[in-house]
Amino acid sequence: MAHNFRSDVAIDWCPGCGDFGILNSIQQALTELNFGANDVVVVSGIGCSGKTPHYINVAGAHTLHGRSIPYATGVKLSNPKLKVLVTGGDGDLMSIGAGHFVGEGRRNTGLTVILFDNEVYGLTKGQAAPTMQMGQRTKSLTKPNMFGRVNPISLALTSGYSFVARGFSFDGKQLKEIIKRGIQHEGSSLIDVLQPCPTYNNINTMEWYKKRVYKLEDSKTWEPVVKNDDSNLEEVFQRAYAKAGEWEDKIPTGIFYENNNIPSFPKRINEYVPRYLENPPSDQKISDKDGYTLVDPMKTFSEKIVETIK
Amino acid sequence: MGQLDINIVIGGPQGGGIDTSANMIIRAFAYAGMDVFSVREFHSNIKGRHSYVHIRSKDDKVRSLKYPADLLVALDPDTIFEHHEDVSKGTMVIYDSAFEGSDLGQARMIMRDTQKGIKETLEKAGFQTTVKGMLEYMQKKGGKLVPIQFDSVLSPVVSDGPTTRYFNTFGAAVTMSLVGIEKSSMEDAIRYVFGNKESVLKTNLAVVDKAYEYCESNKLVGRKIKKMHRESRIILTGNDGAAIGKIMGGLRFQTYYPITPASDESTIMEEHEDLKWLENEVDQLSRGGVVVVQTEDELSAITMATGAALTGSRSATATSGPGFSLMSEAISFSGMDEVPLVVTLYQRGGPSTGLPTRNGQADLLFAMHAGHGEFPRIVITSGDVEETIYDSMKALNYAQKYQVPVIHLIDKNLANTSEILDGIDTRRVKLEIPEIIPQNDGFKRFSLDTSSGISRMGAFGKNIFWLTGDEHDEIGHVTEDTRMRDLQMEKRFRKLETAEKEIPIEDKAVVFGDKKADVTFVSWGSQKGPILDAMNELKKIGISSNFLYLKMFTPFPSDFVHDFLYSSKTVIDVESNMTAQAAKVITQNTGLKISNYILKYNGRHVTEDELVEAVSKIYKNGVKKVVLTNGA
Ligand SMILES: Cc1ncc(C[n+]2csc(CCOP(=O)(O)OP(=O)(O)O)c2C)c(N)n1
Ligand code: SF4
Ligand SMILES: [Mg+2]
Repeated sequence: MAHNFRSDVAIDWCPGCGDFGILNSIQQALTELNFGANDVVVVSGIGCSGKTPHYINVAGAHTLHGRSIPYATGVKLSNPKLKVLVTGGDGDLMSIGAGHFVGEGRRNTGLTVILFDNEVYGLTKGQAAPTMQMGQRTKSLTKPNMFGRVNPISLALTSGYSFVARGFSFDGKQLKEIIKRGIQHEGSSLIDVLQPCPTYNNINTMEWYKKRVYKLEDSKTWEPVVKNDDSNLEEVFQRAYAKAGEWEDKIPTGIFYENNNIPSFPKRINEYVPRYLENPPSDQKISDKDGYTLVDPMKTFSEKIVETIK
Repeated sequence: MGQLDINIVIGGPQGGGIDTSANMIIRAFAYAGMDVFSVREFHSNIKGRHSYVHIRSKDDKVRSLKYPADLLVALDPDTIFEHHEDVSKGTMVIYDSAFEGSDLGQARMIMRDTQKGIKETLEKAGFQTTVKGMLEYMQKKGGKLVPIQFDSVLSPVVSDGPTTRYFNTFGAAVTMSLVGIEKSSMEDAIRYVFGNKESVLKTNLAVVDKAYEYCESNKLVGRKIKKMHRESRIILTGNDGAAIGKIMGGLRFQTYYPITPASDESTIMEEHEDLKWLENEVDQLSRGGVVVVQTEDELSAITMATGAALTGSRSATATSGPGFSLMSEAISFSGMDEVPLVVTLYQRGGPSTGLPTRNGQADLLFAMHAGHGEFPRIVITSGDVEETIYDSMKALNYAQKYQVPVIHLIDKNLANTSEILDGIDTRRVKLEIPEIIPQNDGFKRFSLDTSSGISRMGAFGKNIFWLTGDEHDEIGHVTEDTRMRDLQMEKRFRKLETAEKEIPIEDKAVVFGDKKADVTFVSWGSQKGPILDAMNELKKIGISSNFLYLKMFTPFPSDFVHDFLYSSKTVIDVESNMTAQAAKVITQNTGLKISNYILKYNGRHVTEDELVEAVSKIYKNGVKKVVLTNGA
């Protein structure tokens, strides 16, 4: 029987919050991909978005503010057979955890990073998040936002994410498909999700977005996938980067960039660490039947031995 | 046995082959069957500044270093300036006579304050502020000068470039000749160091030959030390020991962000990610390597290691003070969510960047309290290389068994101490492996139904459960219920009581020496060796002593410590910090106040001789506190 990905925990997001749409899309994607109960792990940081793992019926870790990516990376590298999703806020991933966001692009571990992009710090009552436009003043700000905006799509592209996409939390059908592609992608993916926060963001509302979003895939000429031989790499990357800059009147959604030619971090580790993929840290037996170590320290560190001549 | 005791200080510019020289000397002694103990001292610098290795070799067990040096080997003029205090009656000073023309004013790489001190010393004693002046001063103190024209001696045998490339080998070989180590042992050392580089090996062997020949014809030959046969031994540093212990202890995932003196441990592991197995049957499931990940920062290092632990692997990270400061929040998470996690904390001189490549023990209280809120943890410390191995194994065991963060304190001094061990006992520490039973529905990772406080372990991939930094219920969902809060807090802390009951006293505190003694040492970490050696020396001058050696600070063996100290006479706390942190822990836990202190915070290793002197001052002259100052 297919696993039920809905947990029985009461959801305490505000009515009308964009987070509901993201949660639904994740659950549907997992169902449609036919995952078993123990195939998937969801890791989050802190924020309204951080509560997501509790609502999905798979193992989950609701960790520290900003640290969802390294926690998730530890899970994935220790057991690369698991599919690991990161559900993080824009404050979480683009501010306090920005260093890890960039680090993960360089690693390309194979995480599916879903960014809950509401332009505010929801759980701390509406301060400006790094994704908010300069000069914008949402209702709980004391003055217009004094900071410039981080663009998650271009940051992901330049950091090295090999799958970069954007969805809209009120377009569940498209979002679910993007999440499915992201999960199936072997490297790391960033899925920026436009997520209205009706409680604190009275500017970037559902209606505001609905008027502006359009789908990249609607254009027949749109081709986000890098060919196996990298021949169109430069072109695909540049086009994605240029599209990332679009905001204000027209906001693109869909897949910006997909590159399957960069080996994932687990594959790179496997080149050096013997039998890593086949027998990762989580699966190794570490002691003999009496409970003692299996490792021969003298042989492993043989270069440190001294022998005297008789 | 017990006749030979040789102290060598060999110094030169950082990056100038000083480690290689030291390695040759250590190996040559070892091939001769001697025991060797050494500590590496260096600046936070890559090339040019003064670095040195202090080496002591004996024909029986050696556990510490001692001044003055029997030999001071200077591979640059700075060494002569920096180490004048190590020279005393009978010290042989070996150097290149070309150094004699150098002036202190030109010694750019000597720290300004150090220069000033040297200048004052020389001027006060009426000598010129030049190498020549310093050598005369050393001679006046009883030092014996051994000037050698390095270049002209070496030029007949070096044809592949400047002779300076071989000065370090030459210096080491002259030293070995002077102390009476046979040439064959030195040659074995050279073969070890340059084994796979045929051309370099040849010239280095020729340099050794030349050195011994030169010494022979200039009467620079010590009383021959007869080669002794020994069973296989292994030369390890504290960094090596921790790496080996972790791997033996089942660690398969380590993270780190580069920092002195911790990252060597991780690099050593990376070099040995391909494991070799013991004879007993190793099935397919056991075969695999160690994954070592260099992360973007320490926040990532500790959280990534925690994430790995959630899948059932044994994982750890290693860092020192600055990195550990960044890790605090994640330690609290591991405590709250009962994730087995080991942090090996290599203490160095703080605060802030402090003395980044020097010793310190000022992070004890921090390790015991780092992280917000209240949660159980275990804090252990190691004092010699052997302990770094087995303590690292135990640290992983404690983490797994009690599901707590374990902080394992090592100090820089121990990290960079090299010792020779008779072997490694693969059956000394049994691995404690919690059973993980696959279960999804109704799995209570934080079950309250446990008298020990320990709930059944789970693993991502085998069980569905949740973790949250928030207070949580038995399956790991957020709760703010008052009753559940109390029950979970109490359950977590019950684990500490269980640990306290189960862990044997010898893993917490050890007493060395007789029950009754004139003087009682209390200490921890790398003072262990110097204190044990000082105890023998003190006996010779009529002071009997014993030693309460502390290994575990949380949970603290309060009763044991109380009972022992209560009946002790002159108790002296010895630590490498300014505020006597272990003594504070003792007072807090036992109500006993220690009134005598020997403290050191100049970042250098504690030596046997300064301990003996300090104890005499306290015991005979009634001094309450002595601050140790040895070391360049
Ligand atoms: C280290 C740390 N600093 C600050 C906080 C307080 N805090 C909780 S949630 C949050 C911001 C959340 O914003 P975002 O990541 O955008 O998530 P959202 O609530 O919008 O989904 C902050 C600053 C914290 N939990 N931890
Ligand atoms: S504050 Fe905003 S983001 Fe948070 S639950 Fe409410 S609507 Fe959603
Ligand atoms: Mg937000």
